[in-house]
Amino acid sequence: MKLGVSLATLVDEAVSGLVRARRMTVISILVIAVSLVLVGAFLVAAENLRGVGEVVRGETAVTVFLHPGATEADREALARIARDSRLAARVVRVTPEEARARFSSWWGSLAKAASSLPSNPFPESLEIVLAPDAASSAALPGLLANLAAHPAAEEVQFDVEWVRRLRGAVGVARAAGTGLAVVLVLGAAFTIANVVRLTILLHREEIEILRLVGAPEFLIRGPFVVGGLIQGFLGGLLALGVLGLAFRALLHWGARAPENVVTLLGLRFLTPGAAALLVAGGIVAGLLGGAIAVRRRNVG
Amino acid sequence: MIEFYRVTKEYHGRRVLKDVTFQVRKGEFVFLTGPSGAGKTTLLRLIYRAERPSDGQLIVNGMNVSAMRPSRVPSLRRSMGVVFQDYKLLPARTVLENVTYVLKFLGETPAERRRRAYQVLRMLELHHRMSAFPEELSGGEQQRVALARALVNDPSLLIADEPTGNLDHRLALEVMKLFSDVNVRGTTVLVATHDQDLIRRAGRRCLTLEKGQIVEGLGEGSA
Repeated sequence: MKLGVSLATLVDEAVSGLVRARRMTVISILVIAVSLVLVGAFLVAAENLRGVGEVVRGETAVTVFLHPGATEADREALARIARDSRLAARVVRVTPEEARARFSSWWGSLAKAASSLPSNPFPESLEIVLAPDAASSAALPGLLANLAAHPAAEEVQFDVEWVRRLRGAVGVARAAGTGLAVVLVLGAAFTIANVVRLTILLHREEIEILRLVGAPEFLIRGPFVVGGLIQGFLGGLLALGVLGLAFRALLHWGARAPENVVTLLGLRFLTPGAAALLVAGGIVAGLLGGAIAVRRRNVG
Repeated sequence: MIEFYRVTKEYHGRRVLKDVTFQVRKGEFVFLTGPSGAGKTTLLRLIYRAERPSDGQLIVNGMNVSAMRPSRVPSLRRSMGVVFQDYKLLPARTVLENVTYVLKFLGETPAERRRRAYQVLRMLELHHRMSAFPEELSGGEQQRVALARALVNDPSLLIADEPTGNLDHRLALEVMKLFSDVNVRGTTVLVATHDQDLIRRAGRRCLTLEKGQIVEGLGEGSA
């Protein structure tokens, strides 16, 4: 039997087997999809946590609030301290007007209150944007102490512990998400194995007949493995569709209420690579489940 | 084509076939008869390797079936057509699918499969029931589907276990004529039946089994 004909026969048998046992097939695809939706939800969460981590890493800055009487020489001295430390990527001056404008854009509902005040309460500040990995440098506490010691500095704001904790949380969440994804994919494989095994039990007589009329062993077992693969693929696609719809619904809800956390976080969906990974997870689970189910002790 | 040398088959210490020795030559048409429980079905099952002999040697189509590796069994079965006593039709498949299944893994195109299935089903007066499922057919019709499946790949050896058991006399004679036609084209035919009238009418060699032993008919093909 030629390879092309064999594969075509294998796929044909697998598809017709799935169609014949359509109720079981639908249940199996739904179970896979549910498992993969959970995996996908964790991938979305991991993707967004990674985004938060990047923002934190990219936008970590030390803010030096200046006394009202700070001079240009004071600002230059503070900037020099920052540059000499080699921890600063750049130093940005933020005037009281710029500070008020930022506040109004970030907290839209309070913008009117801020502009209605008789005087501008926001102090002038210097933002020292740190170089990559400077936040975890051993020299950072020294820089913060030098800045705070300058007479023009009213307050130095940088919560290094918060940054470290956030990075730690992102790392833990990603590791937990990966672990959970593995467990859920294995769970899906186990489910598929049981569904396929049940199908095999239901078709025990048919399998015996196929053997008696001389069907090659790969055409008896193969359709179950290919069937598992197809179910896994369809389950993966369904999971991706459900996740996409849920994500769009979340964004839609966020757009209706701009002040809520969804809008603030600027959520991102799965990257094409992660989406492909999700469907691949379904295929792997399906293949694994089908292969487990057609072991000799099950097929006879 | 079929050679039994002192073949014995035991089930849990009970001997079903004892020291059976006979030959069926290529192109022969042979009946196998005997009372119920004589071992006819077991003997046929040994030929298509659904069972292994407990002792002795068995050669089919030049292949030593007694020592055959399991991986070679499908090709042995594909080289012959078998009509099972209980038909063994695939319940979830139509008549056409049941008949063409064997052709599918022989690599025939869908069009060729359909053409050959139609030919053989027409011969068996079943061409109008191609899309019916086995449960929708009468016993006789199911038997004819089993026959069609056995004949569709033009086998070199045809084995039939009580192929006319559920057929009326007219159809039974037609099936026998069909077997004769197949035999004329060069196919070796071995038919197990207890219908003595059919055996008499056919005038072919007949092996008689009793209590697991060949007691009559070793005739021209005997060892």
